[in-house]
Amino acid sequence: MTHQIYSATGCARCHITKRFMKENGMDYEEYDIKADGKDAFTKFYRAHRAEIYRDKDGVEFPVYTDGSVIRQGVSVVIGHLMAGNGLDGFIGRSTLHGEWIDGFNISGGDPSRARDLLQVMAYLKQNGLKILLATDGRNSEVLKAVHDENLGDRMVMEVKGPADLYEALAGEPIDPNALETSISLAAQFPTYQFYSIVAPMISKDGTIRYLTPEEIGETAKTIEKATGSKKHPYELRLFDLARAVDERLKTVEPLPSSALFKYRTAARRYMVMTEISK
Amino acid sequence: MGIPTIYPTGATLFDPGKCWSGYTLFIARETGCALVDMNGNVVHLWKGLHGFPTKPLPGGQVMGSLGVRNPRYGFMDYMDVVQVDWDGNVVWKFDRYEYIEDPGQEGMWMARQHHDYQREGSPVGYYAPGLAPLVEGGNTLILGHKDVKDPRISDKPLLDDVIYEVNWEGDITWEWVCSEHFDEMDFSEAARNALCRNPTMVVGKGELGDWMHMNSISTLGPNRWYDQGDERFHPDNIIWDGRQTNIIAITDKKSGRIIWQVGPDYDGSQALRELGWIIGQHHAHMIPRGLPGEGHILVFDNGGFSGYGSPNPGAPTGHNNALRDYSRIIEFDPITLKVIWQYSYEEAGFLPKMNNSDFYSPLISSAQRLPNGNTLITEGSSGRIFEVTKGFEIVWEYVSPYYGINKNANFVYRAYRVPYDWVPQLEKPNEKEIPKLDRSRFQVPGSVWKPEEGVVEVEGTLPYPGPQLCVSKVDEPEDG
Repeated sequence: MTHQIYSATGCARCHITKRFMKENGMDYEEYDIKADGKDAFTKFYRAHRAEIYRDKDGVEFPVYTDGSVIRQGVSVVIGHLMAGNGLDGFIGRSTLHGEWIDGFNISGGDPSRARDLLQVMAYLKQNGLKILLATDGRNSEVLKAVHDENLGDRMVMEVKGPADLYEALAGEPIDPNALETSISLAAQFPTYQFYSIVAPMISKDGTIRYLTPEEIGETAKTIEKATGSKKHPYELRLFDLARAVDERLKTVEPLPSSALFKYRTAARRYMVMTEISK
Repeated sequence: MGIPTIYPTGATLFDPGKCWSGYTLFIARETGCALVDMNGNVVHLWKGLHGFPTKPLPGGQVMGSLGVRNPRYGFMDYMDVVQVDWDGNVVWKFDRYEYIEDPGQEGMWMARQHHDYQREGSPVGYYAPGLAPLVEGGNTLILGHKDVKDPRISDKPLLDDVIYEVNWEGDITWEWVCSEHFDEMDFSEAARNALCRNPTMVVGKGELGDWMHMNSISTLGPNRWYDQGDERFHPDNIIWDGRQTNIIAITDKKSGRIIWQVGPDYDGSQALRELGWIIGQHHAHMIPRGLPGEGHILVFDNGGFSGYGSPNPGAPTGHNNALRDYSRIIEFDPITLKVIWQYSYEEAGFLPKMNNSDFYSPLISSAQRLPNGNTLITEGSSGRIFEVTKGFEIVWEYVSPYYGINKNANFVYRAYRVPYDWVPQLEKPNEKEIPKLDRSRFQVPGSVWKPEEGVVEVEGTLPYPGPQLCVSKVDEPEDG
């Protein structure tokens, strides 16, 4: 198996990735797109266009391949080199540049692979990156480990709703104690924010309805109960129907943004700093 | 003009036959909300009530505020909007807009209201036939503050204006944030540059840029323009003005977009040039249906200092670059921008150039159209409230005797004329004419003036001509 790295001159994240490979005895072939690797990457990109993410700023480097898989971005590549597919769900694409890196979803992966996740994060931290974490409350024990080892610099927690609605909203239930533990931990990171999406959900009888203002109020109350404070940054967001995974959800009427005022009023009873996301 | 040491206060003039009589409601400085009759008697005082402004409601009730945020941390943030009955009981209150924790003080909810609000039923908050504000229920539109950062406007933190609507139960049902519409406001690059460098910093919690300084919001209410199919004038749409930018605009209630506007510049078309520069204005509103001039825009065009733009000798940085030393009230057509009626130094009979500023309030002030076509004007900075006919005759005048302790000033932000039947608790007062006095015969005790005595004739003198001032009537010499 040959490791190939497509990098760019001056790319700090490429440098971190190559350092990791060197430290772990992994030989690799490097193609610098700002030097003599430009043609090689162009050819590679055209052959694998669908697998390489590109946004308005261009392609994020490093891009890694071993001939069978393609991975992109420092955290994803190092995660793959360290644990294969074991960290899928935990680590995704980062949308942030510079010293900040995101794409870490604590609740998205297999908790039995938490140690590998912590190692990836620790390595990135050692190399000067600041880590933005996300969670929806699941895997609270993983979050505790991340917190205890000071690996996160900012936490953005989606509290999907009251614990008893998690199954309808997220597809799987959550232990109310685990949710409160995660909320409590989230508020202990250097900076943090809570948010909820006023989302539609499918009831057991198949009917679809949006979360109600009262349920968002209950969500805010859950945050207050878990933290003992009414004063946390808490944001309400409209659900983006176009991004609904379940096709049935795309059939509901979109909520107008003005509908969120009632939700904000309900939430402010328990979270006084509640704002509507712009 | 310098104000003399002594001048009369209270009611100074009243012609019952020409007035639209009623009570006049205003904030008596550092005293409370006063209701005075046409002879200046304070017939009711809601002691200690604040209000920015206070507004009358039918049934002898008023709206106002219970207090103001500590000025060390906030700028003109009124804590709440309340409705108070005749006996001083708070029957409705809203404060849950923002939770504020100022240093050394318990956290609390605040409305952060400033300058204006409107109770549903009345577009503008003053009397118009069939358009009375609701007393038991209804939504309230509130002008408030919000701290924001918006690098499109300035790198400095901003004290932004928001308009929000709250229902009787206290739920916010609509919100409009001014800065989010910055790109719709037609600022020139010169204005953007001056605004970016100095967005009108005010002292408060740190320093904040009070970049727009809105001071008036009202709905358009039913009007002929909308009846004729012009959707810009939908009755629910909101007209507002920004003192610091010279903008008067209408916001579409449904989309939030600005769909009608004059300012920030008044040089862009012949119609605007004829309208003339509106500077530092207050109380821009559409005259409600049922009143003379309905559908026209009525505004107290203060003059003074405001605007952002190219530097000039009076504004070396381009901040407050629009300057004028007199006020005018103008009523203009929102379609053609043609001025329908105006009251300024000229209509007041003051000598042009020499006495322009004898009618002048650089800040605050308002104008209310009355059912008989008269206009109640608050010349705020001198605490003068007067009623003037369409033909510019002053038929009622009142000078606030409330000077307060904290500042030696009797200014009145905004006064409202209230019909007698909105105050059922009182018998209609006996109205007594206050004739116009001859100033040359109005002396204070101890003053002696006998112009007929000690007179000698000087041989060879000519008659006195009219005034000759040290200014030219034209700016450019005529050809030839």
